Amino acid sequence: MATRKKVLLKVIILGDSSVGKTSLMNQYVNKKFTNQYKATIGADFLTKEVMVDDRIVTMQVSKPAPGPNPLCASIWDTAGQERFQSLGVAFYRGADCCVLVFDVTSPGSFKSLDGWRDEFLIQASPSDPDHFPFVVLGNKVDLDNRAVSTKRAQQWCQSKNGLPYFETSAKEAVNVEQAFKTIARNALAQESDVELYNEFPDQIKLDGGSSDNRSSGGDNCAC
Amino acid sequence: MVNKIGYDMEETQETDTTTLISDINDIAIQDPVVSKSVTENEPVPSSSEQGSSYEILFDQLKEKNKHIFVLSTAGKPIYTRFGNENQMASLFGLMIALVSVTQDSNDTLQSICCGQTRIVFLNKDPLILVGVSQSSEPYDQIKKQLTYVYNNIISTLTLTQLKKIFHNRTNFDLRRLMSGSERLIDKLITFTENDPGFLLDSISCLQMPSSSRDKITQTILTQCSKIKNLVFGLLIAQKHVISIVRMKKYSLHVSDIHLILNLINSTESFKTAESWTPICLPTFDSSGYMHAHISYLAEDCQACLVLLTIDHNLFFTLSDAKRKITEKMRCNDCLHAINEAIIRQPISLARANITGLRHLLYKNKNRSQHWCPPFTSPYNTDELQQNLMSVYCSLISQINFPGRTLKVIFQQLTAETMLAWATEDVELYMTFEPLVSKECATNAVTKLTQWMKKEEDSLFIFNIPMF
Repeated sequence: MATRKKVLLKVIILGDSSVGKTSLMNQYVNKKFTNQYKATIGADFLTKEVMVDDRIVTMQVSKPAPGPNPLCASIWDTAGQERFQSLGVAFYRGADCCVLVFDVTSPGSFKSLDGWRDEFLIQASPSDPDHFPFVVLGNKVDLDNRAVSTKRAQQWCQSKNGLPYFETSAKEAVNVEQAFKTIARNALAQESDVELYNEFPDQIKLDGGSSDNRSSGGDNCAC
Repeated sequence: MVNKIGYDMEETQETDTTTLISDINDIAIQDPVVSKSVTENEPVPSSSEQGSSYEILFDQLKEKNKHIFVLSTAGKPIYTRFGNENQMASLFGLMIALVSVTQDSNDTLQSICCGQTRIVFLNKDPLILVGVSQSSEPYDQIKKQLTYVYNNIISTLTLTQLKKIFHNRTNFDLRRLMSGSERLIDKLITFTENDPGFLLDSISCLQMPSSSRDKITQTILTQCSKIKNLVFGLLIAQKHVISIVRMKKYSLHVSDIHLILNLINSTESFKTAESWTPICLPTFDSSGYMHAHISYLAEDCQACLVLLTIDHNLFFTLSDAKRKITEKMRCNDCLHAINEAIIRQPISLARANITGLRHLLYKNKNRSQHWCPPFTSPYNTDELQQNLMSVYCSLISQINFPGRTLKVIFQQLTAETMLAWATEDVELYMTFEPLVSKECATNAVTKLTQWMKKEEDSLFIFNIPMF
């Protein structure tokens, strides 16, 4: 069936301000990078079609503006961004994958991962939180002043049921393609794991027209 | 493609949520100039190819006057009237963000106005429907169209099923279950744009002498009354209803009949084979399926018989009943009468012989049935007819505005003079030549009412028997 091949995946990217989320998205979609930093207000959306195994997958990637860091809220509350922190629960609902990004030169952004993960699980409330597909990206590996070691990041991922971990550079396009491929594949696994809803609902019961909808003489009844 | 809610800016800059909302709106739908300048100002995502694909998409969307989008509450696209919903995944993301932001402040987003463009949101958890109209249609009108589209989705899935699916998986891609029914939604939207029945909440009947109609109805009733769990029987010719029979205590709602008419008129294959299809009638009972036996009476009589039951094992019984109905109708000349009525020119308004009267809509409120005579000169083109329908639409929404008891509206427009006239039993919308006086128009009402007394037996169905 043709439609069987048509899949849309909802992906949410989270992480502290200036860890490079927009840059990663931009590198992935447009193969472009700029050093200039501008904070996202509100949210970014991105669409990308990818082939995963034999299926054409459309990725709908949303990146809400980070807002206050959920762990160090007091610091961020002063930045004026808090007014944009919340896009509401519905924004996260029904996500197929969540990408957590930190900056390998910023230990604070790494520490925040726990907070972002919890925040997502609270907002999105997926049915099976323990096995919800997260992918972790340590960005800016092109920089010299690295402060979070690969081992430390891997350990954290391991402690969360073995989350896939990639070290990326949006600037030099290192691992970006591979990371998003894994994101798509993991999200797809989540999406396609669905029983077919083909059982018939119960037969309608005729209750003698006691319900309002069925009683005659109401408005717009053609009888 | 990157769509922005809000815009990129220096971290220190002050801004507030109101501008956020209005900008979203500009960027999303309304104003390409604004979106362009915003794109130019943001160094990070702006690359020429991204800007251009973004602009191409919106240019294409702007060419169409009316858009309808359906998405899940997770923001996954389900349906778009124009274009490929996959390419618009970002636009759908934007829609869900707008809905979500408003929900977060315990509010509901109903509509956004920008210039001539109106964006209407209908939140029917687990679905969200969005209508975008550039032709200044009233809010209620667009909302009703969205409700029709929603009902059509319910009619293929049932509400119970829909809720269950999204309860189990909020991330479900509903397009999987919708394949094939997009076409029905396309047709239904066209119906809501062109058909006076949608505006008036009424059905149109095939004109025929009431004696012939009674004979047809009686023939169907005789067969149907014997069958347990058969609830409704309908005989349809194209867009018009010929006859209805029903089980005691149950009645068919107009909007459900519209869905049935749309299904039949959009499905060619019903003409070649008798069909057995589950259909949920949302107003009758959104929780489960009715089962419809659908078949055209005979090769030489293109009227479609629809028998609706709650029992999914009834196909052969209904098939047998249909055969008998056709046989009987052939014997008692009913098939012939139907054919004649289908071929016959619809009653022209000229027969009423009222000076200056060009066109009208007449609704029998008690029956929820209407009569719309064929358009005549000067309404010779689709565009002119569409314009007149918009005038009717505006009058109808004024007459039916909740809480208002407006009975008469007289309007002299540049191209025509309009009179809307509402009584307890009738709604009448008349189109006159431009310079017709108020007095002349009210006289026409009297004259037409007298004429209708003679003709209404053939224009409307008065006998809807129960079994």
